[in-house]
Amino acid sequence: MSEVIVITSGKGGVGKTTTTANLGVGLAIRGKKVALIDTDTGLRNLDLLLGLERRIVYTLVDVVQKRVGYGQALVRHKKYTDLFLLPTSQVADKTAIDPQEMLTIVQAMRNEFDYILIDCPAGIEQGFQTAVIGADWAIVVTMPEIAAVRDADKIIGKLQSENKNIKLVVNRIRPQMVKDGTMLDMTSIDDILSVDCIGQIPDDEKVVDSANRGIPVVEWKNSAAGSAYRDVVSRVLGEDVPFKPFETEGFFTRLKHVFGH
Amino acid sequence: MSEDIVKLKGSTFGIQLVFDRKVDFSVVKDDIRKKLESGSKFFKRGTVISIEPGILTQSEEDELRKLFHQHAVLFRVEKIESPRIPKRAIMNKSPQPNSDDAYKRARTDNAGQLIKKPSEEQKMMVINRTVRGGQEINSTGSILVIGNVNPGAQIIAGGSIDVRGVCRGLVHAGAYGDSTAFIIADKLMPTQIRIADRIAQPPEDAESPTGAEKASIQNGRIIIETVER
Ligand SMILES: Nc1ncnc2c1ncn2[C@@H]1O[C@H](COP(=O)(O)OP(=O)(O)OP(=O)(O)O)[C@@H](O)[C@H]1O
Ligand SMILES: [Mg+2]
Repeated sequence: MSEVIVITSGKGGVGKTTTTANLGVGLAIRGKKVALIDTDTGLRNLDLLLGLERRIVYTLVDVVQKRVGYGQALVRHKKYTDLFLLPTSQVADKTAIDPQEMLTIVQAMRNEFDYILIDCPAGIEQGFQTAVIGADWAIVVTMPEIAAVRDADKIIGKLQSENKNIKLVVNRIRPQMVKDGTMLDMTSIDDILSVDCIGQIPDDEKVVDSANRGIPVVEWKNSAAGSAYRDVVSRVLGEDVPFKPFETEGFFTRLKHVFGH
Repeated sequence: MSEDIVKLKGSTFGIQLVFDRKVDFSVVKDDIRKKLESGSKFFKRGTVISIEPGILTQSEEDELRKLFHQHAVLFRVEKIESPRIPKRAIMNKSPQPNSDDAYKRARTDNAGQLIKKPSEEQKMMVINRTVRGGQEINSTGSILVIGNVNPGAQIIAGGSIDVRGVCRGLVHAGAYGDSTAFIIADKLMPTQIRIADRIAQPPEDAESPTGAEKASIQNGRIIIETVER
């Protein structure tokens, strides 16, 4: 009964790793047994976001080269004992892991976990096939800007030709810019991509802070992005959660105005 | 053998349905059903069959559409031969010397091997999904897209192109020189339109179309006009 989800994007730096970390921690908080696999070999940083960098002994590359079983390479989270990370190598490159080998590892891990989340490198070059092959469905992360949406469209085309189901997460939304018309709104994004959206994450400084501390915002009670990620977790668990309207600067100024009188 | 109740009249793009208007609709429908079910080549899968507006009532049109759809034939209500008034002409660009010349040359080279038989015009490729950025669809015949054509996608047809959705990509009809080819879309807002060796770019401030439109070459220019579906 395990579910394997790949987190991917067309354009780089839109928040795949952030989404993987938050979804992973969120699912663990909800009592699921979760494994996160970093396939961004050479550029790994999922371990950092989870505060696990110093615990890594073996990596996915060691598992592929049969030096150790995947169980030995898994790093257990300090706080959530049912959350594990299968890190990748900092020194190898993406040719080190062949898609078929990855598929074998993922299939073996299925027996042990409720959710396996795979953090994918950006784009459709090296590493995409490896990351995607074992997944039941895909989360495509994008940002509300034209270039990111166009690249997301290309990735969606590729995933559809691999017969993967796709859900969308739109990250780094700035409500005031959407309101002013300087940032794409959800309707214009859906107009092009027309796939189910399971997350609308606001731009939130706390995400950067959380990366430095190794504690994803999904745990933070006072973070707007954290709250949006908790909703993503619920939707992945199959719950029907409505999208909450964002607070815009306009809203706050109006409040101040009221208090001022 | 009795006279056929329903006849099909061939036109450049798809086929037109004609029948004696005095005959009861149920008889017409029965005849179409029989033809569809006989599995004859009368209606090929993926063909587009159109009828002039005003002949059938809305519910009759819906009934036929459903019937055709069950047999993978597309049915559409469309005025076919009456002249239309151009709605918005768009800027025509003469092909750029370097890149577009190369483009044209490649096409003509290909055209040498593709001597068009009459049947080629009737051949239609049906794409039953949205064509996304980076994807390219090619056919020597016509292409019907049931879905959107997204920015960064390319549709290249020897014949005409029909997009039953929003067309935002690059579309090239009559790519092997057929200047009678045309492009229809529910919402025609492509980055560029090419028909035969003509290239047109919608003006930057083009208003978004409210209904289906058709692009074709008239007097050597690409013209866009509204059409009924
Ligand atoms: N909602 C957000 N608000 C503010 N900053 C964010 C948000 N989401 C991500 N970021 C920041 O954006 C940067 C890129 O995020 P992340 O590393 O998750 O992207 P990625 O898609 O994994 O990148 P890559 O393609 O390089 O793997 C990071 O510095 C991260 O802290
Ligand atoms: Mg990343």
